Amino acid sequence: MATDPLNVANQRIVETLASRLRRRQVVGSRETALETVLVLRQVISKVRFSNIDQLVEIIRSVGRKLVEAQPKEHTVGNTVRKVLHHIREEYHTASQGTAVVSTSKDTLSIAKFVLQGQPRKQNVPQKTTLNESHGMLKENDADDPDAFARTLKPVLMEAIQDVLDELETVYDNISKNAKDHIHSDEIILTIGKSSTVEAFLKAAAPYRKYTVIVADTAPSYRGHDMAQSLSSAGISTVLVPDSSIYALMSRINKVMLGAHAILANGGMFAITGSLLAATAARAHSTPVVVCAGQFKLTPQWNLYHEYGALDFADPSSVLGFEEGNLVDKVDVVNPFYDYVRPELIDAFITNDGDHPPSSVYRLIKEAYDDEDYEL
Amino acid sequence: MSATATITMIAPPSKSTIKLTPQSHAEASSSQAPKSQKQMTKAERREQQERQRAAKAATKASGPQPGGSSQNSAQAKKGAPPAASTSASVKKGGKGPDGKPMKETKEMTSDDSARGLRIFSHFGLPKPPGPSKGDIHPTIIRLGLQFSEFKIAGANARCIATLTAFKTVIQDYVTPPNNTLSRHLLTHLSPQITHLVSARPMSVTMGNAIRELKLEISGSDIDLPEQDAKNLLCQKIDDYISERIIIADQVIQETAGTKIKDGDVILTYARSSVVEQVLVGAWDDGKRFSVVVVDSRPMLEGKKLLSVLSAMDIPCTYLLLPSIGSVITEVSTVLVGAHSLHSNGAVFSRAGTALVAMMAKQHSVPVVVCCETYKFAETIQLDSFTKNELAPAGDIFSSFPLIRSKDTLILNKQPNLEILNPLYDLTPPSSITAVVTEVGVIPPSSISSIPLALGRTTL
Repeated sequence: MATDPLNVANQRIVETLASRLRRRQVVGSRETALETVLVLRQVISKVRFSNIDQLVEIIRSVGRKLVEAQPKEHTVGNTVRKVLHHIREEYHTASQGTAVVSTSKDTLSIAKFVLQGQPRKQNVPQKTTLNESHGMLKENDADDPDAFARTLKPVLMEAIQDVLDELETVYDNISKNAKDHIHSDEIILTIGKSSTVEAFLKAAAPYRKYTVIVADTAPSYRGHDMAQSLSSAGISTVLVPDSSIYALMSRINKVMLGAHAILANGGMFAITGSLLAATAARAHSTPVVVCAGQFKLTPQWNLYHEYGALDFADPSSVLGFEEGNLVDKVDVVNPFYDYVRPELIDAFITNDGDHPPSSVYRLIKEAYDDEDYEL
Repeated sequence: MSATATITMIAPPSKSTIKLTPQSHAEASSSQAPKSQKQMTKAERREQQERQRAAKAATKASGPQPGGSSQNSAQAKKGAPPAASTSASVKKGGKGPDGKPMKETKEMTSDDSARGLRIFSHFGLPKPPGPSKGDIHPTIIRLGLQFSEFKIAGANARCIATLTAFKTVIQDYVTPPNNTLSRHLLTHLSPQITHLVSARPMSVTMGNAIRELKLEISGSDIDLPEQDAKNLLCQKIDDYISERIIIADQVIQETAGTKIKDGDVILTYARSSVVEQVLVGAWDDGKRFSVVVVDSRPMLEGKKLLSVLSAMDIPCTYLLLPSIGSVITEVSTVLVGAHSLHSNGAVFSRAGTALVAMMAKQHSVPVVVCCETYKFAETIQLDSFTKNELAPAGDIFSSFPLIRSKDTLILNKQPNLEILNPLYDLTPPSSITAVVTEVGVIPPSSISSIPLALGRTTL
């Protein structure tokens, strides 16, 4: 076990991505997720391991490094957890033979009821049963240390390819039912530029005639790009400043937002301005719908800072140096993300179906393994 | 003042109000008046035709459209103004979403633009000052220009400017023979007022003030010699300004100042002249507090307030409206101004105030509106749509930051894309804690008690 699990090439790959994350050269939930999966795939293909724990530990250390580089990009950690989940699943299937340990007592207990509802067994210790060698997987084989890895790797590569495919088809899957969510002559409000919402709205455009109001989302003014993109797709768009969100809300039928990360309690981090839109919508009882891929599900909570992800952007986009001596005397605040409480959200439209914020905890339980919540 | 003097007073055109200046230049010099009239009415006619055609196209089949659109593209070749973009959008509609037959896209885009226009069409676009029907006094012309270019903005400022201009008009007025001042002056003033309204819709303050003025004029004594009557009217105007605006502001400043304590964090939105006075006054009184200035497009007026406050070394924080969620937890009071206050207690104020009040109420922060009594309107307003105003498109307030190049931003209409910049919005009475007026601090629903407090029967 003293062999250095991460050889030099792997370390370099991981370091490259970590420094890119740190320098914010890779930004955006989907981009970071894709890059992370690619790095993990390379790591797994090159790494040497002789039992499942070693592999898990390797992946975890890679994940820790990446998450430390940029803790605000939650999808990095999520992807690592997802890959770990798939690895364990593949491993369990591969070692299927003797490994199905069912707690076959017939007494009805709450524990059994809860456990049976689990999609797979999480708490059953597999290690002991598997050291009795069985057909397919040879662990800790002293003569052939790579046997285990060799048999498992192709399966793992497939699993990672699944994750990659899921990431690449996220927009298509989310937009599948777009036309069922939007009805004719509806007025939808959106803010900022979320590629998921954009894909969703464009998917419904050929089937429905509706209007989209885009708030320009100071100080990034991403709303302008969104409005440009939507109007060139033939959707009737209205660009308004953020100040008129409340004024127009009485005529808006639906608010559609994108998310940066979905938290375990059903809340989310989203671009600044989402809290305003969601609160105004709540005041008018307008439904708030969030379009997000499942890779944004984060098993974390927002405990300490009620108002945001504590990620700040460049203050000069709020008060620039052209203001002269004001720059010295005035404090400028430019937070990039808002935290939106689960009570303000009505539905999450994900690539795996629509869910209310109250079932997000279940989705997280199904997507990730308990022991991975702390990488 | 002579006509030549007027021409020199018209300021050089600001960079983005190009479409306003040629016409105003034209109308100022009377020799070119007939030509500009023709242009202006044509533009108005064209706009109306555009709207009618769009509405018709939305209901009828695509048959009459090609005729309508070609007529419009022919008209579009003459002159610049707003209607051109809609007809251009119909032309460009042919290039629309790929793979669709051209006729169909034309119908779709004009349908869409029709729908977009229909929803907010009653807002009306800011129009350049119309042709002068009758004699418009040069001060009024100048004032109209200043209004339409937003050089004078804010309910109080506009009202004072209007009344001051009317003083000049009254002094220059000569009663024609066989007429009395009290009757004829009113008809003399009407076209002036119409001119101002065409430059920018009248604010409630202006409306109330002008109503008082008309009351005074019709009540003026017939037997007074003309100059005395005019002096009396000017005196009344001065009294109105002084009593209901200037002194009222001072009383509000003292009353609201008592609500500010040392160590407070006061949040204010955009720039209200009254709130500025309150803050400056409280600081001068020795109270030590800090201010959070929240600002937003389209006007970005908060920066002016920021420079005033920081010149006095008041510790300030500046942020844009979407970021308000991050600071609201640390704010002790929210102070905002108002454009007008309605009898159901709703406050009509700069767009964005409703959002600020809503967030503050969510976090149990008191929202205090500083409003003089002359801003009260007897009407009831239920939403921000009925009496709003749109800011002109483009970047006339230089409200975009320099770090983002202007070609990536959308400043003008395009096919399928409308730009809407409402200037006002309505804050419902549920979000407001108290209104500070010169007669006291009242809850927003008690507006009906004000006339009694002022000792009169109506507002």
